[in-house]
Amino acid sequence: MDIKGLSEQLVKTCLRKGADAAEVYIETARNLSLDVRKGEIETVQEASAAGAGIRVFVKGRMAFASSNDLGGKALDDAVGRAIEFARITTPDENNVLTDDKGTTEVAGLYDPRIAQVSMDEKIDLAKRTEKLALAIPGVTKSDGASYREAEGEVAVANSNGLSKSYRSSGCGFGVSIVAEKGEQKSSGGDSCSRRFYGDLKPAEEVAAKAAKDAIDALDPRPVKTQRTAVIFHTDVSSMLLGGILGAVDGERVLQGASFLAQKLGQKIGSELITVIDDGTREKGMASAPFDGEGVPTQKRVIVDKGVLKSFLYNTAVAKRAGVKSTGNASRGDFGSLPGIGPHNFFMAAGTAKLEDIIKATKTGLLVKEVTGYGINPVNGNFSGGASGLWIENGQIAFPVKGLTIAGTAEEIFNGLDLVADDLDLNEAMAAPSFRIKVLQIGGE
Amino acid sequence: MTKSIYAVEDIPRRRFLELGLKGGIALAAVPGLMRCARTGQAPPPPRFALEDLNKVIRRALSKGGEFGEIYIENRVSRSILLEEGKFKSALFGISQGAGVRVISGDKTGYAYTDDLTLEAFLRAADVASYIARGSKAVAPVDIKEVKRPSFITVKVPLRTVAEEKRLEIMKRAQDVALSYDNRIKMASIDYYDEVRGRTIANSEGLYVTDELPLIFFIVQALAVGNGTSHMGRERLSRHAGIEMFDDLKPEDAARNCARESVTMLDAEDAPAGKMDVVMQNGWGGVLVHEAVGHPLEGDNISRETGVFVGKLGKDVANPKFTMIDDGSLPGFRGTTDFDDEGTPMTRNVLIQEGRLVRFMTDVLSAKQLKMGRTGNGRRESFRYMPIVRMTNTFIEKGTDKPADILASTESGIYVQSLSGGSVNPTDGVFNFTCREAYLIEKGKKTTPVKGATLIGNCLDVIKGVDAVGDDLDFGPGICGKGQAAEVTAGQPTVRIRGINVGGSRAR
Repeated sequence: MDIKGLSEQLVKTCLRKGADAAEVYIETARNLSLDVRKGEIETVQEASAAGAGIRVFVKGRMAFASSNDLGGKALDDAVGRAIEFARITTPDENNVLTDDKGTTEVAGLYDPRIAQVSMDEKIDLAKRTEKLALAIPGVTKSDGASYREAEGEVAVANSNGLSKSYRSSGCGFGVSIVAEKGEQKSSGGDSCSRRFYGDLKPAEEVAAKAAKDAIDALDPRPVKTQRTAVIFHTDVSSMLLGGILGAVDGERVLQGASFLAQKLGQKIGSELITVIDDGTREKGMASAPFDGEGVPTQKRVIVDKGVLKSFLYNTAVAKRAGVKSTGNASRGDFGSLPGIGPHNFFMAAGTAKLEDIIKATKTGLLVKEVTGYGINPVNGNFSGGASGLWIENGQIAFPVKGLTIAGTAEEIFNGLDLVADDLDLNEAMAAPSFRIKVLQIGGE
Repeated sequence: MTKSIYAVEDIPRRRFLELGLKGGIALAAVPGLMRCARTGQAPPPPRFALEDLNKVIRRALSKGGEFGEIYIENRVSRSILLEEGKFKSALFGISQGAGVRVISGDKTGYAYTDDLTLEAFLRAADVASYIARGSKAVAPVDIKEVKRPSFITVKVPLRTVAEEKRLEIMKRAQDVALSYDNRIKMASIDYYDEVRGRTIANSEGLYVTDELPLIFFIVQALAVGNGTSHMGRERLSRHAGIEMFDDLKPEDAARNCARESVTMLDAEDAPAGKMDVVMQNGWGGVLVHEAVGHPLEGDNISRETGVFVGKLGKDVANPKFTMIDDGSLPGFRGTTDFDDEGTPMTRNVLIQEGRLVRFMTDVLSAKQLKMGRTGNGRRESFRYMPIVRMTNTFIEKGTDKPADILASTESGIYVQSLSGGSVNPTDGVFNFTCREAYLIEKGKKTTPVKGATLIGNCLDVIKGVDAVGDDLDFGPGICGKGQAAEVTAGQPTVRIRGINVGGSRAR
């Protein structure tokens, strides 16, 4: 289907039906999902899907309609509904569309091979991962292994003459297992997702990691409530970036609903913290040539050696703030308006080895799992559940479970004193392992 | 797939565009499209000739298998945002499609299509039948329309309501929130409604159809002062017409929300460590939804991975503790006339006075466990195959007086409301984040404390419930388990002994 042509044509329909300006976003996708358990296929799901989101502006008022029926009548109807709906919203001078016709060259977003690999090979990958994991001593049950893939195309066109499209793909596999010992049950899982099929990790690596996580967590011991050093393992450390991400959302900043709203250009934490949003990274899971409203993506430093450098904006919020869009308009899907969101959002790696950080820690907690909402972007408060490994005299002593960690963003970012070199940029949101000198943990 | 974590969110978050398979690969890749449009009136759903649906079911079972099904859905939704004094956006969404499912032994094949034509259904049936190749086929029974009782009554249908009425309701909420206190700096009012039409037909000869209206109304208010900020939140939701607001007043929701925001500006650091927790009646029931409900879902049990495997018929909780899942409570957010597999809704007592008496099941897990279907087979949309989900889940009321429960608690934390939480169903470790909580000192609610995490193990927590109030109430939410489901969680005021509280200061 020529969705680029269709989006251009729909923009014209909007203008003809009375919109002063209009934007059309169309997505198509094909998905495959396979689950296996105990060596047998458990589920196979396959589908193709498509949808259009139509944003119209009438006398400065904005409204939106979406449809997953791309037939002429349905789309005509949707345009009519959007224009009718614009009657009820408030006019706003910031309701503008981008006229930036550029695109960013981003390599490696689409792998034609994914579709060519046989179904049997994909099923086999999941089965093999499960089998490898089950063969590791201590692993007693499988909670299933799976393979997922999707590929699709996105097109955006607007009444400023902008029209762009790109194709992308992604695939991944993973396994979930249970390790048991007496009455104890411990779950472990790992997965790997990539843009290209050929870049997937070996099944052995994923299976081993899933098993290790579950086995390492067996026989936990209680620890006392105390203030101690806390090392966030790279598996979970990106969670703390979530608090920064929510707080650098340009709209939250304007609303005063961000603990970083007044901090631009100021030091917000340790010099070891550099945070980057990169929409341009080759084969990046969250890379794209342009954002959800067609603005070219960038690589942008958000925090530079502890100093807050930039907020994230889409076109309308940027106009309100008197700045340029940072190319961070994000859409949940064709049915949602462009909000503000990250691309590949990561904290830069340090130089230390994780082992050395552990050695340098007399007593402390190595966190392997964090639960909860992370840092509250409104006020910077943090409280979460945690499990992981207890460190005594610079060595891993025993696993711990059911602890809590709490503090504030200020305490966390200023207390960060060691950063490891283990950043994995294959994740859309990533951070290396790092240590916070002291945080409150809750236990016995 | 990393560890399975089931979570309940109190509010739909803005979704970030990501092609990542982050948080495990529960959902795959290309942005969007894995989710249905969330944002109505559309033409009535097309009705299909029963004979055509029989054809689809026969095709689905043509390669083998014992259960074939087609689910046809059409959803019309609208979503309006009033924020910073402006009606910022109005979204209208139409989403329609169908999913065909084949079950053969423990295997399930599923395929969906946006295209509501017989040809597209047959193609989906071909794809879904892949997993049944070579297995023994069971001959489908021709479908016949079945009428189910309805638990949802509508006085003023959403499609007859003028947009101005919706705006007026939103404005009423906004005005009350903003005028509550001069420290309230912003109010955000989200209005969402939808009408979802469903048609379900299967190889057992079932054919059911209905239409479910749903309203979800969220008030948030930002308070700034005392060197900090707090965003309060209150939600109203029912399967009902616009008359919902005669009963659940937008002004009350706004007042409550603003009160929370202003109160929490004075919050102090919570203490850390094990303490007694008194949970106020209402949405706090999300704790048992997560901690006990998810592990009682039949899929964990048939996989033998769940924490309650082998515990049916055994005493697992304090005898004061009775827990129920009831999808037939009239008009509730978690209620439907029948689940998304066509099974009638009913009241399912899961734990009776401390004894585990029932698991929740869908078609597949009921078959695997050789148990009855409980009406818990649900799906977010046609893009998802049904899985075992809760509906309205609650702790049954007891006989203790809420005031006595508080007065008899020497020290601890009083939780007035929770944001949400999650559980690992394998080891039963759960966590929750408090929205509004207070210290308990000498049997009295005193200083408000910052959003602390509550954490524990489900088997310990239900043994630790030692007081159950007579004031059962409910709150609406969204439950996530790879796909979203509308739920309510409920409880009377309860006390739980010895929960780990994640405060930021030593006691």
